[in-house]
Amino acid sequence: MTSRSNARDKPCLETLHHWLEKIPYAMFLGIKAEPSKKDIIFILPKNKKFIGNPSLPALHGGVIGAFMEQAAALHLVGSMDAAALPKIINFSLDYLRPAQLRDTYASCILSRKGRFISNLTITAWQEHINQPNAIARAHFLTPETN
Amino acid sequence: MPVLSNSQKFDLVTIMNAHIPHAALLGIQVESIEREELTLRLPYQTHLIGNHETGTLHGGVLTVLLDQTLGMATVCSDASEPSVTPTLDLRIDHLGIAPAGMSIFASARVYKATRKILFVEGIAYCESKEKPIARATGSWVRVAEVDLSWIVSSDKDAASP
Repeated sequence: MTSRSNARDKPCLETLHHWLEKIPYAMFLGIKAEPSKKDIIFILPKNKKFIGNPSLPALHGGVIGAFMEQAAALHLVGSMDAAALPKIINFSLDYLRPAQLRDTYASCILSRKGRFISNLTITAWQEHINQPNAIARAHFLTPETN
Repeated sequence: MPVLSNSQKFDLVTIMNAHIPHAALLGIQVESIEREELTLRLPYQTHLIGNHETGTLHGGVLTVLLDQTLGMATVCSDASEPSVTPTLDLRIDHLGIAPAGMSIFASARVYKATRKILFVEGIAYCESKEKPIARATGSWVRVAEVDLSWIVSSDKDAASP
């Protein structure tokens, strides 16, 4: 990958926050976005209301999926001058480890930003990115640019 | 192991659903059980909106509802004994939009059960099953059996005398 495409693909935190605040469900989940060395890291803060299995306790798998899908959509609109939020086409999710009651992180790779369709891969983790709790792929209709 | 009746499955699924805090928080209810097909209902709520201009529900909300429905449909299968089943994977195709102001229903059934894996499919819809807004497939792993002695002995219309 050239440095030019790296620069283009790293999402703009300001743009991403602009969209984040317009999404009631993202606010309900309390999703945050913070810069890391090379990229943007999304955070789903620890919250008892996300518990799916109270005996472990573990977070609801659906919430982890929703968080990852939202992270991917924000990563995409943060990477461009979008006129609207992207529409999801499909989402494929592999659960690798139960998510404990603690903060969950996600980072995305914009594998392809096509004129019409974009593909992202998403990794979610709690302790270490090399021990992901879930991995996912998403296709979105690429939003039109302003 | 007798096949559970619809009402036994309804009791089992209702209790399981009530013990999942996030499902209770979203007001997810058991709508119906017809043989092996489970239907859950999610009432419309403004904090679940994905598009603030149209008021349509967030795609991720469908992920929660479908994960919940497909996962709980595993205990409605007549081909295997009800088990504790974490999700292995889930794939969702978004076929339409969840309209503003309407409850979403999700129906699911196990289409293949092996000793270790349950393969499940389902849809989410609003007005009609003929017009799904999302379609899901996934697999669930059987890790432990659920003790059903309490439900089989207490239910009056058990499938076997």
